[in-house]
Amino acid sequence: MSEQFVQVLDRVAILCILAGALLSFIAAIGLIRFPDLLSRMHAVSKPQVLGLLLVLLGIGLRLLPAEETGVFSFGTLFLVGLFQVVTVPVAAHIVARVGYRTGRIRRDLVSTDELADRLATRRSVPDTSEDTVS
Amino acid sequence: MNALQIKKKIGARALRSRIGKVQIPVALGMTVVWMLLFDAFRLRPETLGIAVLGFLVSVLIMMVFPLPPIVPGFRFWPLQGPYMVLYILGKMFAASVDVSAWVFRPGPPVQSSVVAVRMRTESDLIMVCVAIATSIIPGSVIVEASQPERILYVHVLGAQNEEEAAEAKRGVHELEERIARGIGTRENIAELEAALATERRNA
Repeated sequence: MSEQFVQVLDRVAILCILAGALLSFIAAIGLIRFPDLLSRMHAVSKPQVLGLLLVLLGIGLRLLPAEETGVFSFGTLFLVGLFQVVTVPVAAHIVARVGYRTGRIRRDLVSTDELADRLATRRSVPDTSEDTVS
Repeated sequence: MNALQIKKKIGARALRSRIGKVQIPVALGMTVVWMLLFDAFRLRPETLGIAVLGFLVSVLIMMVFPLPPIVPGFRFWPLQGPYMVLYILGKMFAASVDVSAWVFRPGPPVQSSVVAVRMRTESDLIMVCVAIATSIIPGSVIVEASQPERILYVHVLGAQNEEEAAEAKRGVHELEERIARGIGTRENIAELEAALATERRNA
């Protein structure tokens, strides 16, 4: 690989890592600024995933010119990204579900709520079958 | 027949039923993950050994922790599949900008909505994929999933009135369409197209 191409790759990699770090930083600010649990979930689980993917992409581009990197390779980066994408929603869903069901949300900030209607009708009609997946 | 022989027989039958639970495609998938972990895709003398060992470990895991097979399975469409991935990535970028804008917007706290979205396909796998995709796209979180009714309850950040809630619902439906066309079976796509046709007739 020519010297120039490696330099271009380096620049792109730096841009990716910077953008990823910026997104994670915005997520941290959102965590402080958002009012209640559910909106904070948005901040903490999302820009952070994209941020991580960008950082991984940046690292991958930096690794590209290197011939021998030891144990660390594209495979590892790919797995980190894949499992992050697959597992973050599970954790987010559990936290959101528990938060909603135990009333840890601010009702005045929810404009339309179609789940509340359903839970209300379920409570008035005693239903023994648990039909939700958790 | 003494007690020991009977025990051996029961043990052999249990072992056979456990081996029957092993799903070869899933085991192969796990082998690929194993090989990625050990960087075995670069040609090295020990590549074959890592692959065989990984396959044995996968089979062992599936015998110790048996899982039901994925019904009705999925297939990867060569054109729509990559389009699905690109679509989700594009959505992630666009929505990240939106959420970042909400973070820095001055004024009163942001309002949001919880909308119910009914899935138009009958596959559990597609429902799970839609839930994952909705979750990793900024601005929407799954609050509740009702599997028999096939409804996802999505919390949408920044949807302050009915129109914006309906807009968010359309977004999730669009996502479902992309995923069903990307990795759905022929039956899933047929269901989706039937639902789309009735929608068009009603509109």
